[in-house]
Amino acid sequence: MTYVKQLIGMFFLVIVVCGGPFMLYTQEEEIVFEPGNIVVHTVYLIQQIAEGSLGTYYSGQTERSIAEDILPFAISSFELLFASVGVAVLASIIFGLLLQRFRIVRQFQKVLNLLATIPDFILIVVSIVGAVGFYKLTNIRIITLSPISDSESTWFPITLLSIGPTIFLMKVVSLKYVQIGGEDYIKTALAKGMGIWHVLIHHVYKNIKPFLIADLKKTIAITVANLFIVEYLLNVVGLTRFIFSKDGGYEFNAAVMGLLGIILLSILVYVLIRLILYVIERAVVYK
Amino acid sequence: MRKRFNWALWLGCILVFFLMIIGVAGPYLAPYDIDYQVKVRNEMVNGKQVIISPPLAPSGEHLLGTDKWGYDLLTKLLHGAPYTIFITLLIALLRLLIGAWIGLYIGILDKQQRWWIAIENAWGYMPIFIPVYFLLKGININPELPTFTLVLFFVVVVAVLGTPSVAASIRQKTEQIKESQYVLAATSLGAGRDQIIFRHILPHLKEHLVIVLVTEMIATMTLMGLLGIFGLFVGGTTMYYDPVEYHSTTHEWAGLLGTYRSFVYTNYTWIFLIPLAAYMLAIGSFSLLAKGLRDKFEQTYSRTPFI
Repeated sequence: MTYVKQLIGMFFLVIVVCGGPFMLYTQEEEIVFEPGNIVVHTVYLIQQIAEGSLGTYYSGQTERSIAEDILPFAISSFELLFASVGVAVLASIIFGLLLQRFRIVRQFQKVLNLLATIPDFILIVVSIVGAVGFYKLTNIRIITLSPISDSESTWFPITLLSIGPTIFLMKVVSLKYVQIGGEDYIKTALAKGMGIWHVLIHHVYKNIKPFLIADLKKTIAITVANLFIVEYLLNVVGLTRFIFSKDGGYEFNAAVMGLLGIILLSILVYVLIRLILYVIERAVVYK
Repeated sequence: MRKRFNWALWLGCILVFFLMIIGVAGPYLAPYDIDYQVKVRNEMVNGKQVIISPPLAPSGEHLLGTDKWGYDLLTKLLHGAPYTIFITLLIALLRLLIGAWIGLYIGILDKQQRWWIAIENAWGYMPIFIPVYFLLKGININPELPTFTLVLFFVVVVAVLGTPSVAASIRQKTEQIKESQYVLAATSLGAGRDQIIFRHILPHLKEHLVIVLVTEMIATMTLMGLLGIFGLFVGGTTMYYDPVEYHSTTHEWAGLLGTYRSFVYTNYTWIFLIPLAAYMLAIGSFSLLAKGLRDKFEQTYSRTPFI
């Protein structure tokens, strides 16, 4: 029941957020604040949902049905989101936990920490500049900005999208590693002559896991924030297409559907990652 | 242990000081008027008539070059500097003040305030630029309001929306300190709530508050940059429809970044790279300052791992 309540609460939060442009606008050099406008649009939206359609939106000059487009858009957003969060979790477990004791990995993390001081969206923009420059120099194409090109490559957007969450999660894990590594029970385990891998998996991993899980939500939030930028800048056709149309028009129905879709996708990604972690744990830790 | 020289702190301090000076004196140092535009002209070079048209690459005449419409980039940057630097400072200060006030007074209460924690949790996962985007969308493009009102509106909206996260971290620290023996002793001696907050908790939070201020400046700057990418600039966006172009009215750095974004794909990359460099300089100096401060305060707590 609480889940249903939360979902309903989320729906209204999304409506309030998306209603911003109707609620707050200027008229004859004065700011007009009219929350009532949201109600009108919401009623219209709910009517359309009740009729079985999700309404329409404009892509350039053509009017398209949201219901037809939402599934393919959601799938491509999901691919990006899931792959990037997956990369972040995997990389932070491997480099932040298992290989952390090697000097070279710690150096690598120092470089990443340096990168972390730059905002993610700047990293993304700079990578695009780099990719364009690389193409001019070598004629090797690594980005495709046209969404209908044959050589559609998903690895470049995935790489760009995974930079932010990987840096964040790896920092969390390696910080906890250093803290837990200083605990007395680790000293005891090592003094008893247990193997390093045993200590890593059974003592360090088990104690890091709660923090990993707790910060997984934040990681997904960071990935979603970056998803907007990656999809917008790299012309990936995904759910954010509904929210930010490039010619400046704003459509309420599409924005609500897009934002709701993204929230649902992030919940799905969270559940899937937890599931995968559980399976790996069963196979490796508690065999 | 010998103290290591904290170069991040020193460099950060110097750079931030330098930024402040640019912020105050920028518009007076600008080499050209803000409206000065380079026109297309003919010139004799080696006995040949050559058409000189903007964008002009960086040269002695235009230190950082001009943009496609003939405006001097250095002038634009210097005119935008006050907005960039003082708006971020103002927003971070407001967030800190409101956040500290809420965090301290909620943290000191005996009972956990469930409603507030629910707000903190829900807000923690919302990328802040989405609500800001939707709130600004209706009023910021081709604005009917004067620039000052728009800037003020932006400051208030961003400060208020960013407060819960600041309040959360201060509330948690307050709750920790509240449990300590000396607070108990003070209470049993008859100290009131304000006495405990100002005499016993705030002195412990001093260092934390300084770091929060600097990190909030970085967060605000990031937010401004993000909004710039999506065509919403602080102080108003002038939008042209044919072709669709967004121009910043205040020439604020994040706004210039957004205006010149499309030049990445042309041969005139410097038009984009120069605002980018300015923006990175600003954000980099605050990051250095934050890192330096954190190193300084955390030196005492470090432990070496056994593995």
